[in-house]
Amino acid sequence: MHIPDNYFSPLTCAVMSAAMVPVWTISVKKVKTEISKAKMPLLGIGAAFSFLIMMFNVPLPGGTTGHAVGGTLLAILLGPFSACISITVALLIQALLFGDGGILSFGANCFNMAFVLPFLGYFIYKYVRDRSSSEKGELAGIALGSYCGINFSAFAAAIEFGVQPLFFHNAFGQPMYSPYPLSVTVPAMVIPHLLIVGGVEAVFTVAIYSFIKKVSPGSIYEGAKHKTKAVYGLIAALACLSPIGLLATGTAWGEWGIDELKDVTAGGKALGYVPEGMKNGFSFNAVMPDYAVKGLPDGAGYILSAVAGAAILLILFKMIRSMMKNNAKNITG
Amino acid sequence: MPEWLLKDENYIPQSDKDAFITKSIHALLGLLSRIRAQSVHEDDGFRTNAVLKVAFTFMLVMLVSITKSFTFVIIIDVYLLVILSMMKGEEIFRVLKTSLFMSAFTFVILLPAAFLGNLFSGIMITSKVFTTVTAVNIISHSTRWNSITSALKRFFVPDIFILVTDITIKYIVMLGGFSLNMLYSLKLRSVGKNNKKYKSLSGIPGTMFIKSKEMAEDMYSAMECRGFTGEYRVVNRFRFTPADFIYIIINIGIAVIFLYMERV
Repeated sequence: MHIPDNYFSPLTCAVMSAAMVPVWTISVKKVKTEISKAKMPLLGIGAAFSFLIMMFNVPLPGGTTGHAVGGTLLAILLGPFSACISITVALLIQALLFGDGGILSFGANCFNMAFVLPFLGYFIYKYVRDRSSSEKGELAGIALGSYCGINFSAFAAAIEFGVQPLFFHNAFGQPMYSPYPLSVTVPAMVIPHLLIVGGVEAVFTVAIYSFIKKVSPGSIYEGAKHKTKAVYGLIAALACLSPIGLLATGTAWGEWGIDELKDVTAGGKALGYVPEGMKNGFSFNAVMPDYAVKGLPDGAGYILSAVAGAAILLILFKMIRSMMKNNAKNITG
Repeated sequence: MPEWLLKDENYIPQSDKDAFITKSIHALLGLLSRIRAQSVHEDDGFRTNAVLKVAFTFMLVMLVSITKSFTFVIIIDVYLLVILSMMKGEEIFRVLKTSLFMSAFTFVILLPAAFLGNLFSGIMITSKVFTTVTAVNIISHSTRWNSITSALKRFFVPDIFILVTDITIKYIVMLGGFSLNMLYSLKLRSVGKNNKKYKSLSGIPGTMFIKSKEMAEDMYSAMECRGFTGEYRVVNRFRFTPADFIYIIINIGIAVIFLYMERV
């Protein structure tokens, strides 16, 4: 579920990052009061833990394997606020250093996986646990929490994907970013999560939790003693739905289609006409006729193609050489 | 010599499925070797400052994401290929492996849309994904990671956050090695059919968590012994080299080309 760059418009990324700022601020404050400085290294080590959790493959029916995300597990073990920070750090390292997940879409990825997933999962778990005294009830809460957490996280991602074609298209009405509407993205993301991924997550979380509880019961986050009110769960659920708010913002400023352009108001008056240059502007069919690249003088297009050719040859040469070196090493060693 | 020692034994263990263990081992090994690989370089002629690299890579990703011009994406691709061609063979392999995989994945995802007559976004997004993934991977493969994290200081990331990130990278290696050993022993000790393997699998992350708690406590004690008071300051000296100067000029050039292309 690590969304790469260019699936979302930069505006969406900005909105999602802005949505994460208060979450991060509150989490840092909470962690500072809840966790003494003695436990600060735990945040880093927790992030390493959440990073490594995704490396574990779990067997799935049919001989394939999948991996869990472990967001709810972390929230139960470390507390939701520490989990939020730990997952954020893990996602940052993945985006910046492993190239897994985009840099601009970092905010959106954090929203889905470091906010929706641990908080919703944790509050559902807490809600169920506080209302049942038996151990079975606790485990049921964990299973339900992790199942719902991952599914709502996928749902949030599906909505973010689905709103892209509504707002962001070029002058020809072709989507600039992810082209699928909500009617495609929601089933495509949610159904596999409901059927398989959610189950894997739930089983994984319950299994690891029961192991830790049996072996080292003292190391699990206690949380506030008072009963969590249902309202927190509601807030968390509403937060998951907040990407829908994007639906209400209309066409992004500066990204109007031609047909909308004349309705754009400037200083209270509608524009009333379509600028001539935009009416018959860029046509994709003519992007690369021969070697000339459109928008550049002919000469520059040739130079660009030549530079690309030289670079590709160098790359191939170096790759072959390193392959031969490895082979030689294998033979001698 | 006792009789039973002379007898031939042909014990053939029952075959058992353990693909998930092998896959986990592969994933962990790949991760660890990637982290170890980055700690050795810095001798590859890319002596440009990490702060500049992070800032301009961010700018590049941003411009590529905004642009509506396919030509601009191609120009950036060529620029990245030129940089790539100056790197080492193994690094080129790793960078291209990731970015080609990501673009192929994107292309497959966008294929249905292309059949519905939306070829433009298929080609445009695929090439944009290739560009941005390559750009990020180039910086991650050509720079030591601790210089990248300390470069974050220049972008107003709090020091404590940088400390946490550094600890994370360090402990991914330590906890990773630790759980790798547990996976090896689970694999080695499962001779023949072992139905309890699935149960043991949950024990590995579980043990890893308990271990990580202990490690965190040990680490804090060690930090306190060395005078840690809860404050952490990242020292980041900034020196300009001729390479930095060239790098800045190239990137200003990219920004100019971007503006020129958007004007068309």
